[in-house]
Amino acid sequence: MHIAVVVKQVPDLVEELEVDAAGTGLDRAWVKMKLNEFDDHALEQAVLLKEAGGAQVSVVALDGEGIDQVLYAAVARGADRALKVDAGTQEPLDSRRAATALAGAIRDLGPDLVLTGVQAADDLFGQMAPFLAAELGWPHVSVVSQVEVAGAAVRVQQEYAGGRMATLEVDLPAVIGVQAAPQPPRYVPVSRLRQAMASGALETATAGAGAGTGGAAVTQLAKPEAGRGAEMLTGSPDQVAEKIEALLRERGLLRG
Amino acid sequence: MTPTAIVLAVLLIATLAWAGYRFQRLLRPLFQAPREDRLDHVGQRLWGVVTNVGGHSRLLKNRYSGTLHLFIFSGFVILLTGIVQAFGQGLVPGFSLAPIGGNTWIALLQDLFDVIVMVGLAMAAYNRYVRKPERFRGSNEKDATIILALIFAVVFDMLLHNAFRVATGTDPSAPWRPVSSGLAALFGLVGIHGRSAELPAAIFYWTHVLAVLAFLAYIPTSKHLHIFVGIPNIFFRNLQPNGVLPAADLSQPSIGVKDVHQLGWKQMLDLYACTECGRCQAVCPAHAAGQPLSPKLLIMDLRDQLLDAEGIGGHRQAADGGSRELLGGRILDQTLWSCTTCRACMQVCPLHIEHVPKIVDMRRQLVEQGRMEPRLQDTLASLTQHGNSFNQSERMRARWTRELGFEVKDARKQAVDVLWFVGDFASYDPRVQPMTRALARILQRAGVDFGILYEAERNTGNDVRRVGEEGLYEMLAQHNLETLGKCSFQRIMTTDPHSLNALAQEYRTLGSTYPVIHYTRLLEELLTSGALKPERPLERVATYHDPCYLGRYNGGFDAPRQVLARLGLRVHEMGRCRENSFCCGAGGGRIWMDDTGVTERPSENRIREAVALGDADYFVVACPKDVVMYTAAVQSLGMEDRIQVKDVIELTEMALSLEPAAVA
Repeated sequence: MHIAVVVKQVPDLVEELEVDAAGTGLDRAWVKMKLNEFDDHALEQAVLLKEAGGAQVSVVALDGEGIDQVLYAAVARGADRALKVDAGTQEPLDSRRAATALAGAIRDLGPDLVLTGVQAADDLFGQMAPFLAAELGWPHVSVVSQVEVAGAAVRVQQEYAGGRMATLEVDLPAVIGVQAAPQPPRYVPVSRLRQAMASGALETATAGAGAGTGGAAVTQLAKPEAGRGAEMLTGSPDQVAEKIEALLRERGLLRG
Repeated sequence: MTPTAIVLAVLLIATLAWAGYRFQRLLRPLFQAPREDRLDHVGQRLWGVVTNVGGHSRLLKNRYSGTLHLFIFSGFVILLTGIVQAFGQGLVPGFSLAPIGGNTWIALLQDLFDVIVMVGLAMAAYNRYVRKPERFRGSNEKDATIILALIFAVVFDMLLHNAFRVATGTDPSAPWRPVSSGLAALFGLVGIHGRSAELPAAIFYWTHVLAVLAFLAYIPTSKHLHIFVGIPNIFFRNLQPNGVLPAADLSQPSIGVKDVHQLGWKQMLDLYACTECGRCQAVCPAHAAGQPLSPKLLIMDLRDQLLDAEGIGGHRQAADGGSRELLGGRILDQTLWSCTTCRACMQVCPLHIEHVPKIVDMRRQLVEQGRMEPRLQDTLASLTQHGNSFNQSERMRARWTRELGFEVKDARKQAVDVLWFVGDFASYDPRVQPMTRALARILQRAGVDFGILYEAERNTGNDVRRVGEEGLYEMLAQHNLETLGKCSFQRIMTTDPHSLNALAQEYRTLGSTYPVIHYTRLLEELLTSGALKPERPLERVATYHDPCYLGRYNGGFDAPRQVLARLGLRVHEMGRCRENSFCCGAGGGRIWMDDTGVTERPSENRIREAVALGDADYFVVACPKDVVMYTAAVQSLGMEDRIQVKDVIELTEMALSLEPAAVA
């Protein structure tokens, strides 16, 4: 079994985020990046599969500032290989572009299973896993909280609203969007991280022609505007009801 | 040779062979254990043996038990002459200690110390079977009883042997044996004297000899091994400064201890030296809080693990029926995580056993395996990512300065006299920030030329190291040392005693030579020199809590007390003060873990002690973590109207009238 885990970095929200001068992205000068929490769970799930039944784990990421550290940490956690894909830019790509940029390298890697985080701070729709599956032409399941190997397939737990769970079997190769590993991602001691860095075993690949194109473009990025504060309606229930009615009428939301 | 001599020689050789075999089995793992260099400063080592063994310096801190031990110990030294005499006589016809006083002053001492040892034994029995102090809980009672009985047999039989010899009327030492003579007179009353005393004299000679041999044979399977191992263990004690933990070799693929054979030879010797006296258990805050840790049981568990691994049989059976695993088996993870590294156990141990380094070494292995509670893991991740334990941005570190009303110098850009290493809690914790600002105002008022490192400061890693995250500690330490290396200053002042320990002690092993002081020392200097003048003496009663890492670890006992005196406060000491201070429960990374399994928080135990003084208005602390811990403890006990938690900084500010002080 060969598992590829696709990871990326997201802005660390302990820092205050600023919109850049162009008004279409974050001001990267002050942003600190960290591993996407859901990708962390995907990696943990892969390492658990490796520990349970033996597997080769490759961690894959697009090249970008600070990505080496993330890949070394993954190696320290138990990944066997770390692959950095050069898409010709250090700028973060949206999920559509990232999926096309990564697909070729992943196909070359030839994994049986691809795991990635179900979503990210800059991909709240969780499009990465489906886009990747579409590029590869493989089946896909997202919002998964457990993955087990079942012969030539994997059995996954998919979560639905209201806490319902479905058990699905997916033929391999497949792409899984991981919401949570069965256990929290384990701690990587700094000594182990340093050993991984000293071993220096990062591989590189180049994204194929046509990679990283397509998708939507951001035209404007802005901070949510702070409201003027709530107006508290006071008085007896009847008085409050009258005030609400008056307000709704005033704003043209009531007919008749 | 006489038949007596042959029997005695055979018995003696057999016993010595057995004991020698046991010792060889016991000591074998020490010779295969990792190196520890404990042969430096021989003079200092020997002097420690003199004061600790000869002077009973640590033992006598417990007056009753120390006295009884001194009785038995000194008796043993004296009665050794009686034992030599008994065996010498039996083996070599005509052997006698008479030429050096065997019939005169040695005989007198023997007679007197026979009685002294028996008094000691009676005290020991009273202590163990009537008083039953909690510290004995978990110790091997049967072993203790056998030993007391054997000592009694050795001494009692020797006394009776001497008494019957005196009764025969042929003992030349009779005039020097008042006790034996008294007993002989009693025997005479029932008609045992002259020839008729020879048989009982012979019987008690043999019971004495057999008791000595039995004792010798029993010791290597008993906790009374300390008779032989105690002196070497004190000689080879750790002479490093208190605040320096043994380093871990990070170039190794795995660090820490997960198997008892990974302990260094001196760490193993510690295990044999333990007498199960439980002084450590009595002072341990984790044990008092109902957590699974007892330093005594930890040492006993490690010893039994070693004995089992060596196939020589433990003193006790493993509770789980012989688990092979050390971590998570004989010693539970939660036991190791309970330790606050307060060092109280090591301070009281008469044998100088090193509990904390062993615990940290096992924690290192737990960290390596990622075995820790989620909160601790999140904190370590925050320290890795942001250099502080609050999961906040580095740039927020100096935010407390904004409300000061004046600019604090940036020590990275300007030369300063005092470089103030503020620390995580004083910088980030909203409950402590007002005190941090107060200290800044006090320094400003006193005209101190000081500066801070702003966002370049990192957690010193003191507690990170004690958690067992050695790699992260080194990373933090290197960052801080690089930053300090680019600054120009005369000395470093810390708010946090934990930072003080790292900067003043741990960083020395990384080549740092900066003078480092705690803020209480600087305040004491400023009050003494007159740079600070209290305008309004506080005239109240305070009790002072010694923070572990200021007091026990760094000897900072007096400066805070002198500050309080100069502020006009009368200090009413708690019973557990100075070296015997009782930890608040936050040290060693405990502040990053939850309180699961705690029946009484150490901090609440401590507040009760302070309130019980009856007249203390203030519970004074000198550590930002203590401010947090004790304020919470007073609240949860509902004792806000009986005692107020105050940092030395707050009191100083009140006395200086920098702020309108609200005196209760």
